[in-house]
Amino acid sequence: MAEPAPNLFFATIPELNEQLLSRKISSVELARAFSARLAELGPRYNALALSLTQQAVHKAEGADKEIKRGRSRGPLQGIPYGVKDLISFAGQPTTWGAPPYAAQVFDYDATVITRLAAVGAVLIGKLSTVELAGGGGYRYASASLQGPGKNPWDPSKWSGGSSSGPAAAVAAGLVPFALGSETSGSIVTPASYCGVTALRPTYGLVSRHGAMALSWTLDKLGPFARSAEDCGLILQVIAGADGDDPGSAGRSFYYTPQYGRPVRGMVAGYAPIDFSAWADPAARPALADALGILNQSGIQLKDTKLPDFPYGSLISTVIGAEGASIFEPLLTSGRVNELIDQAQIAGLKANLDIPAIAYLKAMRVRRQIQDAFRLLFSNVDVLVAPGRLSPATPIDQSLDQDRPGPAPSDPGMTALIAAANLAGLPALVLPCGFAGNLPVALQLVGAPFTENQLLAIGREFQSRTDWHRRRPPGV
Amino acid sequence: MKLTRRQLAAALAAGTAAAQAPSLAIPAPDAELQAARDRVKANAARLAALPVPMAVEPAFQFKP
Repeated sequence: MAEPAPNLFFATIPELNEQLLSRKISSVELARAFSARLAELGPRYNALALSLTQQAVHKAEGADKEIKRGRSRGPLQGIPYGVKDLISFAGQPTTWGAPPYAAQVFDYDATVITRLAAVGAVLIGKLSTVELAGGGGYRYASASLQGPGKNPWDPSKWSGGSSSGPAAAVAAGLVPFALGSETSGSIVTPASYCGVTALRPTYGLVSRHGAMALSWTLDKLGPFARSAEDCGLILQVIAGADGDDPGSAGRSFYYTPQYGRPVRGMVAGYAPIDFSAWADPAARPALADALGILNQSGIQLKDTKLPDFPYGSLISTVIGAEGASIFEPLLTSGRVNELIDQAQIAGLKANLDIPAIAYLKAMRVRRQIQDAFRLLFSNVDVLVAPGRLSPATPIDQSLDQDRPGPAPSDPGMTALIAAANLAGLPALVLPCGFAGNLPVALQLVGAPFTENQLLAIGREFQSRTDWHRRRPPGV
Repeated sequence: MKLTRRQLAAALAAGTAAAQAPSLAIPAPDAELQAARDRVKANAARLAALPVPMAVEPAFQFKP
């Protein structure tokens, strides 16, 4: 069979599935082609942590045999993918992106890998992450075993963190989809910076068993993919009850766009100041156009305010306290000093000082936040905000650097990432244009377990735009 | 995880606008640790000041 056409590297899951079922290409050919591409171009973006070509080809052979026999396991059968290197794959290194864990090997697969294997998906590689998912608060993009994540749209810019590899690899067409994680922003940020569609599921919907814990009450795993529809197809496979994850919600997810409520007539809450004053001036035209598309889809935009809570202090305290407990052996052994980023080392050490009463207060306030969002979602169906306020930052820029110019007095929804994570809410990231040569994205946030509603809006948006199909130059 | 602590601080504390600074120098480790401890204290103080009704329980469940 001929070499896969370049378009294949940017095909959606249904497009690849059609190619496989019609036997225009085999799963082995896909696995070999994507593996070679990942091995060749992954290092260009510091996106590749570990190539798994040999295992992938073996798995793909099995998928091909089943397809040949007419046994269908669904649209992900025979499709290659990658995972962030904090998700365990038995017998292979799972480094968490951090030097102290560079030789770590688990003897079991994470639940998400087991679930994807059961439908015939083919794992071709582990993808880079900021060390320990950035739990101590890192200052530089270089805080990873692979070095700073480079953005395929402009390698002098950051791919975002902490799911740097998954976002960059999907953007550059190195994998059709990837799994990343979010504790507070680690899916939304890199997806926005790299211009890929991504979904942060409701807390508890996707098992974290086998994934590095940073914060038991905040961690989520979710997909990076080519479209909202792809995210729905992946979520259907990876979601579900898991007795091995104490945080499991015990619920499944069925991607059912055909049964969803019509997008027309939905109400989206937003803060106009996010788009007019907080967003980087270069990003504002794309963001304004995106609001216009939502409006043309029949979605009513309604001026909305976030419930008033000190989200920054709350989420820092929760992540800090839980992370200090999780990484207590790293801290007490002194090996924390082997981490790459000085700010992260200091942050983790300082988190040992968080008083128990502060953590418990934060967790009690989270209950109030959940109640406040329940009330908010009685007035709106979703919230919409810029994925990030600015496009990707220079790769060597300190992440502590303040935004240029005076800050508006109204915070708008600038705290939405922290707020929605504290409340366990799902989010969908939709690429919506460019600021210069760099992608800009929207984030949609919904009430718990309303992923189908978010995906319905995403599908509608992507039926009217082609930002999610754009490719970085030179790939 | 990309924690936007600086951005959130700017968003939530009105009038804390700052002009764009050049790249910050890396603080010495001792100063870095002290700064991190000061942030922990500031967060704890901020949470201590929040009134929460006694009936509000923490937002996690123990499932036997």
